[in-house]
Amino acid sequence: MRVAYYSPLPPSRSGIADYSALLLPALRERVEVVVAEPGKRAPAADVALYHVGNDPDAHGWIVDALDERPGVVVLHEYVLHHLIAGMTIGRGNGRGYLDAMERELGVAGRLLGLGVLDNLLPLLWETQPERFPLSGLVLDRASGLIVHSHYVGERARRAGYGGRIWQIPHPAWPMHDVTPAGDVNGEPLIGCFGFLNMNKRIPELLRAFAAFRRDRPGARLLLAGAAGERFDVTRRLERLGLTEGVERLDYVPEERMWSLMAACDVLVNLRYPTMGETSGSVIRGLSLGKPLVVSDVGWFSELPDDVALKVPVDEVEVEVLQAALEVATDHGAALGAFARTYVEREHALPRVAAAYVDALETAAGGDAVDDAVLWRIAEAAAEVGIDDVQALAQAARASGIVS
Amino acid sequence: MRVVVAAPQVPFVRGGAEVMADDLVGALRARGHEAELVTVPFKWYPEARVLDQAFLWRLVDLTESDGRPIDRVIATKFPAYCVRHPNKVAWVLHQFRQAYDYDRTDLGQYDESPFDRATRQAVARLDAVALGEARRVFATSRNVADRLQRFNGIEAELLPHPPQALDYRTAEPEGFVFSVGRLDRAKRLDLLIEAARREPSLRVVVAGAGPDEQRLRSLANGNVEFVGRVDETQLADLYARCSAVFYAPVDEDFGMVPYEAFLAEKPVLTTTDAGGPLEVVHDRQTGLVVAPDASELARGAAYLAAHVDEAKAWGRAGRALAERVTWDACVDALLG
Repeated sequence: MRVAYYSPLPPSRSGIADYSALLLPALRERVEVVVAEPGKRAPAADVALYHVGNDPDAHGWIVDALDERPGVVVLHEYVLHHLIAGMTIGRGNGRGYLDAMERELGVAGRLLGLGVLDNLLPLLWETQPERFPLSGLVLDRASGLIVHSHYVGERARRAGYGGRIWQIPHPAWPMHDVTPAGDVNGEPLIGCFGFLNMNKRIPELLRAFAAFRRDRPGARLLLAGAAGERFDVTRRLERLGLTEGVERLDYVPEERMWSLMAACDVLVNLRYPTMGETSGSVIRGLSLGKPLVVSDVGWFSELPDDVALKVPVDEVEVEVLQAALEVATDHGAALGAFARTYVEREHALPRVAAAYVDALETAAGGDAVDDAVLWRIAEAAAEVGIDDVQALAQAARASGIVS
Repeated sequence: MRVVVAAPQVPFVRGGAEVMADDLVGALRARGHEAELVTVPFKWYPEARVLDQAFLWRLVDLTESDGRPIDRVIATKFPAYCVRHPNKVAWVLHQFRQAYDYDRTDLGQYDESPFDRATRQAVARLDAVALGEARRVFATSRNVADRLQRFNGIEAELLPHPPQALDYRTAEPEGFVFSVGRLDRAKRLDLLIEAARREPSLRVVVAGAGPDEQRLRSLANGNVEFVGRVDETQLADLYARCSAVFYAPVDEDFGMVPYEAFLAEKPVLTTTDAGGPLEVVHDRQTGLVVAPDASELARGAAYLAAHVDEAKAWGRAGRALAERVTWDACVDALLG
C-alpha cells in the first residue's frame, strides 16, 4: 500500500515539521510512503495523509491538495482560523473568508466576517480564534481524522464530523544520552520552552515565579523561545523585578533545546485558550523524566494526574501555579519517574507508527470492505424479505462488523 | 450452571481444537453442570468473507434456551468469541492468525491491496470489540497471551488445557520418531521428512491426514511411514512405542501433542521457533530443542535414539509437568 504524505518538513521551523521528521522513518519501515512537495504534482497513492496545523505558510498548500483529493487529515489542532484567514484573505479572497465564517456560524458569521474585512472589528484570528475555529472546511474534505487527543476528536464530532476518527498519541523522541547544558543554572531551574505569547500564560507564570522566588532566592526561570510580535517579555520582567531571576533565550535549535531541558529541574507548559493542540515540548519533557506543570485544559488535561501537575485557569491560577512549582520542585524525582514510564508506554514511536498504519489501511480499503460485507448481508436479508439497507448497515455497525 | 461452549466448526476437519471443545463439555458435565457445544460452520475466504462469518456469531442469541437462561458462554476461537452474551468468557486457543502473525508470511492470506489490508484491520477491530466484551479472557498458552497483548493490547490470563483423554501408557521405545496431526504446511513436517532423507537410521511414523499429504508423501523416502488417520487406541499405542515425538509447527499457539507425548513418558523433539511448545519442551529436560533445520533435527533424533535412558528420563519429567494441568482447575477458572 502506498501513502502520499503531506507535511511541512525541516528546515521548516514548526512543531509539525519536527513531528514528521520523527514519524516518517518509522512509518517507512511499515508502509510505502511518498512525500508530496509544494508546487509539484500530487503523488499517486492508495491513500493521502495531510498534516494540518494553523500556520498558512506551512499548511496552506496542504489544504489546497486536500481540496483536490480527500484523504486522512492529521488534525494537529482544532482551531484553524489563522490558517483559513491566511488562505483566503491572505490570498486576496475575502469572499472565501466570508464563506468559511458563514459555514461556521450562518449569517451571523458572514456579518462578523464582513466586519473584519471592513476593519470594523478586530482580527478574529488574533483576538478570539477559539470562538471561531473554522475547521469545517478541512473536516468537509477529510475521509478520516487522526487526532492526538480525545478533546479534538470530541470537538470534531460536535461539529458534525461523521467519518472515522483515530486517536493516536504524539510520538516520543527515542531517548539518547542528553548532556545537561552547563551554562544555565538555578536552584531550582524552572524551564519554559516554545513560542512566547499570551496563550502560553507567560504573565501568570512570571507572577507565580516571582512569588515562588521570594522563598527560594536561588531559583531561576529559563524562558526559551521566540516572542510574539506584541509581547514584550523584557518590559514585563523589569516591571516584576525579575531581571536577575530570569534567563531569556530566543529560538534554540533542537540539540540545544534538549540539553537546556535536561538542565532544568521543572518544566512548565501553560496554555489558554487552547486551540486543541498537543505540545512536542511537553513530550520532550516527559521523555527526559522531568516534573511537569501544565494548564488543566484540552489535551493537557488528558495527561495522567501522576505525570503532570495541572493548574486550572481561573481566578487563583497564579497561586495554584506557585504551589505547583513548589510541589514539582520537592517531588521532582517521583513525578519524573512516572513521566518517563508513561511516555515510554503510551507514546513509543513504534507503537505510534503502527497505529498510523492501522488507520491508513482502514482508510484506504475500509469502505470497500464494508460495502462487500454489507452487500452480502443485505442480499441474504433481502431473500427473506428484509430490505431496509440502512437498518442492516446500522446493525452491522453496532455489532462491530463494519466501521 | 447452564454453560454453552461456543466453537467454530470447519466441516470435515477435526483437530485439537475440536477435541478440546468436546473435552471441555465433558469436564463441565462431569462437574454437574448442564453443558452444550454450539458451533457454526466457519469459512474464512475469499476476500472479506471472514467478516460475514463473524457476523453470523454476532446474530446468535445465547442469552437463553427453551425459556431458561444460559448462565455462561465459553468461547474458544475466532469467530466464536464474537458471540454476544453478558457472561461471556473467552478461552482463546488462537485468533484468526492470518490477520496477525501469519500476515505477510507464506501462511498469510492477505496481500498488499488496500482491500486486503483493510480486511485485516477489520478483523483486529472486531477482536477488540468481541474480546473487550468478555468478562475474562484466558489464553491456552503464553504464546497466545503474548500475541493478544502485542497485537490487540489485551491482557489474557494463562490457562493451559489438558490433552485429550487416551489410554496413555509407555512401552520400550521401538526406535521411531512419531508425528501426529493435520498434514498442512504450518505443521512443518517436511523438515522431519528431510531429516529422515539425510539420516538413514532415522525412522519416522506419521499419523494424520490433510491438504499437504500428497506433497509430503512425494518428499518422503522409505524411512517414513504414513499411517493415515488413527483411532484413539492406535494413537495411544503409537505414543507408547515411539522413541520420541516430533512437534515443530511455526510459532504454534500451543498444541496438545507435547502434553500427549509427556503422558506417554516420551520426550518431544522441537525447534527453537516453534512458539507455544517451548513453554513445556525444555531443552534436555523434557525433550530436545534444535534449530529449524533438517540436519539439526536428524542429529537430535540420532541423539535420542543413542541415549535411551536420558530420553526416558526426559519423558518422565514431561509427565510430571503434564499431570499438573487438570480439567478441574480449568473449569474452576472458567466458571469463577
